[in-house]
Amino acid sequence: MRIHVNDKDYEGDFDPNMPILWVLRDVLGFTGTKYGCGKGLCGACTILVDDQPVRSCSVPVGFAEGKRIHTIEGLENTPYRSLQMAWIKEQVPQCGYCQSGQLMNAVGLLKTNPNPTENEILDAMQGNICRCGTYPRIIKALKTVIENKEA
Amino acid sequence: MKQKSMVSRREFIRNTSIAGGGLIIGLHLLESCVGEVIVNPKFKDPLPLSENVFHQDGATSITDFLQIRSDGSIFVALTKYEMGQGVSTGLSAIIAEELEADWSKINIRYAEPIKDVANITGGSTSILSHWDLMRKAGAFAKSLLMATAAKEWSVYVDQCLAQKSVVQLLGTKKTLGYGQLAEKVVVPENYRELFDKVPLKYRSKFNLIGNRLKSKIIPDIVLGKHPYSIDLKIPGLKYAAIARCPVFMGSLKNYDDSAAINIRGVEKVVPIKGVVIDEATHVRDGIAVIANSTWAAFKGKEALVAEWDLGEKKNINPERFEKECYQLLEKEEGRQILVDEVVHEVTDYDDTISHTYEFPYQHHACMEPLNATAQYHVDSCEIWVGTQSSDKVIGNVEKHFGIPKENVKVHCHPSGGGFGLRYSSAYALEALMVSEAAGGDLVKMCYSREDDIKFDYLNPFELNKHTIQIKEGRIIGWNLKNVMDNWGGLSAWLYYDVPNRSANEIKVKGFTQMGAWRSVMANAEGFSTECFIDEVALALNRDPLEFRLSMLPANKMLTVNHRFKCNLGRLRGALLLAARKANWGVELSSGSGKGIAAYPYMHGNGYGAAVTDVSIKDGTISVDKVTLAIDCGLVVNPDLVIQQMEGGIIWAISAIFYGGTDYKDGSVQRSNFHDNKVLRINEIPEIEVHICENDEPKPWGVGEIAGPVTYASVCNAIYAATGKRIRKLPIDKELKLRENG
Repeated sequence: MRIHVNDKDYEGDFDPNMPILWVLRDVLGFTGTKYGCGKGLCGACTILVDDQPVRSCSVPVGFAEGKRIHTIEGLENTPYRSLQMAWIKEQVPQCGYCQSGQLMNAVGLLKTNPNPTENEILDAMQGNICRCGTYPRIIKALKTVIENKEA
Repeated sequence: MKQKSMVSRREFIRNTSIAGGGLIIGLHLLESCVGEVIVNPKFKDPLPLSENVFHQDGATSITDFLQIRSDGSIFVALTKYEMGQGVSTGLSAIIAEELEADWSKINIRYAEPIKDVANITGGSTSILSHWDLMRKAGAFAKSLLMATAAKEWSVYVDQCLAQKSVVQLLGTKKTLGYGQLAEKVVVPENYRELFDKVPLKYRSKFNLIGNRLKSKIIPDIVLGKHPYSIDLKIPGLKYAAIARCPVFMGSLKNYDDSAAINIRGVEKVVPIKGVVIDEATHVRDGIAVIANSTWAAFKGKEALVAEWDLGEKKNINPERFEKECYQLLEKEEGRQILVDEVVHEVTDYDDTISHTYEFPYQHHACMEPLNATAQYHVDSCEIWVGTQSSDKVIGNVEKHFGIPKENVKVHCHPSGGGFGLRYSSAYALEALMVSEAAGGDLVKMCYSREDDIKFDYLNPFELNKHTIQIKEGRIIGWNLKNVMDNWGGLSAWLYYDVPNRSANEIKVKGFTQMGAWRSVMANAEGFSTECFIDEVALALNRDPLEFRLSMLPANKMLTVNHRFKCNLGRLRGALLLAARKANWGVELSSGSGKGIAAYPYMHGNGYGAAVTDVSIKDGTISVDKVTLAIDCGLVVNPDLVIQQMEGGIIWAISAIFYGGTDYKDGSVQRSNFHDNKVLRINEIPEIEVHICENDEPKPWGVGEIAGPVTYASVCNAIYAATGKRIRKLPIDKELKLRENG
């Protein structure tokens, strides 16, 4: 099986039933994507598959064959690195464990809705849990990105 | 032990790749690059990079606390555990201040435990307990660098000036950078004895401390590179999951692993014998599945068929247990704690008021599930773990495995949350037991989320009964009687200036293992004390703020049950600031309410107060705003303080509405984030944090101040809005008390 991660192809004898999360983490070594709940409840494992935010813990790798996977490791090389910049500017993360998922979910939001209202931000981000309580700063950082978008 | 002998194709590829020297297993052979990475030219500014490391071989060590590389990069050895509270940034700023270092050159080194430095992190004490040590380490290293420069120039040290990582010869343009000097520095062997001899800076000369310096770990986090132990990658690594006995103190009778061993990727199945090592280190009986991926290990675990002897704890019924706890409050006197220096029995009083408050079990649910990696050799071992107590890990390994301390190598990783849970060393021991049972395999043992919830070390269930006697409108006696599940001890910080303060504690043994949970005993005590004082104020027709202030004289150091005296002036100051910022006393529309609370977190000698605004919308409680004031002494980094307050408030509101647990037949029934809910982004209030100005000469504790004042101010606000008094958590947003609190 061949999968496409951050603009590169990886070929291997993957168990097609293994969730994308574990192929990324344990087989390919992309550990930026986190295991949080294994049930699609917390969002820590969020990646993009064909530009859509997906909970990688709950989707078998077979589903991603022929599709484009994007993870936190590739974010720096996209225009959405502005989110990473804003996360630093607003000093969002504390322990940081959920933040790969928060960032990738935010990319997914901005890809479908480049100008979300505050309510739309809350709606889109409510699937991503943070135990440190960085939510106020996530909202602030997202607003910074939206307001300072390049025309 | 059962073991598979067949080698799958993937296994074969892995082995080959290790033989080929690939560090990241399999990746190098499988990867085939098909396209160039496209960088949008508009976004080419580099993201800030950290050089945070575990080992920096290319640098010169100047004491155990610092390394400096020839390019001027500085690596600060982390003497406390980074779990998200920002301690790496805080401690680095303190050392950099005295070192006169260029802040941009500072990196973190996740160091091995340093000899004679207590490697325990908790109680909101990291910054205050290492304040002197970090300053001295920085100042001492600076003195060595300056002496080296003076020697180079053949001048006296006092002709030199150190600033921003550069030593200058005064009156000249001659300079030497720290990077140039480091290699030539000679560190005396007895340097720790010399730490006390170096002069430290005056507070007025600080140029890093007190500023909003940016976190040293966030650059790694946003790139997905922060080195959590769960992300460890080393050649030969295998993955393990353990099926544990569902009831505490139960045991394994028998198991069938025939289905598990046939799961693709599963390599071995081994039994684990449980052990109780200390009050927060209980390894349960279990069966470990070792596989070539975490997922295969999880699948293997699910396929095991185990027969357990569930033991005595399965008979503990939650309703009966709680009822018995309430009965004990009345039946037993308990161990007496005299809070006041002198306590007389109060017999002559006009009135007495007494209420009991219930604080439930609480789950941690740290975002990074518990995990540890270990390799066992007969007389030595290596462990990679995020722990609040590396000392305890090392000590317990020695105790249980008989491996001498000096042969226990611990790599201290940062973690995705800790909140007290990572005081336990059980998960590190479990990983080592799995490695031992598997014949010395290098194993990463990971809890599933379900394991992390079910086998959590819960915050203890507590009842706090406050009783006061009143004469002529004044409190003349105050007793706190407590029943607590078997962990820790009552804090008994009865911090209002009233006579005859005493406390009694009664310990009970509930269904499972207990542990530290952010703010520890201050949760139940803060919640109960501040709700109770509110009730007393209203019973006496006093304004809750004015009533509190009347018992908080500005110049009093009050004896409480702690080595620190409670500084009532600082508590008063926090209370006044919170009240002023939140417009306390302003008339509100019906259906809205304000609640107030103040609390000293004595372990850290930090003081907090909060005013919360709630309103009732469509019959549901809405926590609209929390205004919090904190007096944490000298402020090292105001942004870190604000972060901790924001996080603590959200943590506490989560516990107010979703806390507690559910258990049946001795086993936790909650399993994941659908039934152990936590606050989400669309449920948070507006938060405003104010830091009190003060002249304290040193920093005090921060991380655990927000919780106690949040519970009480929210519940007092609910009373103000609805007339319904909350004496038991968690609460339903529709104001019905939950069943299994």
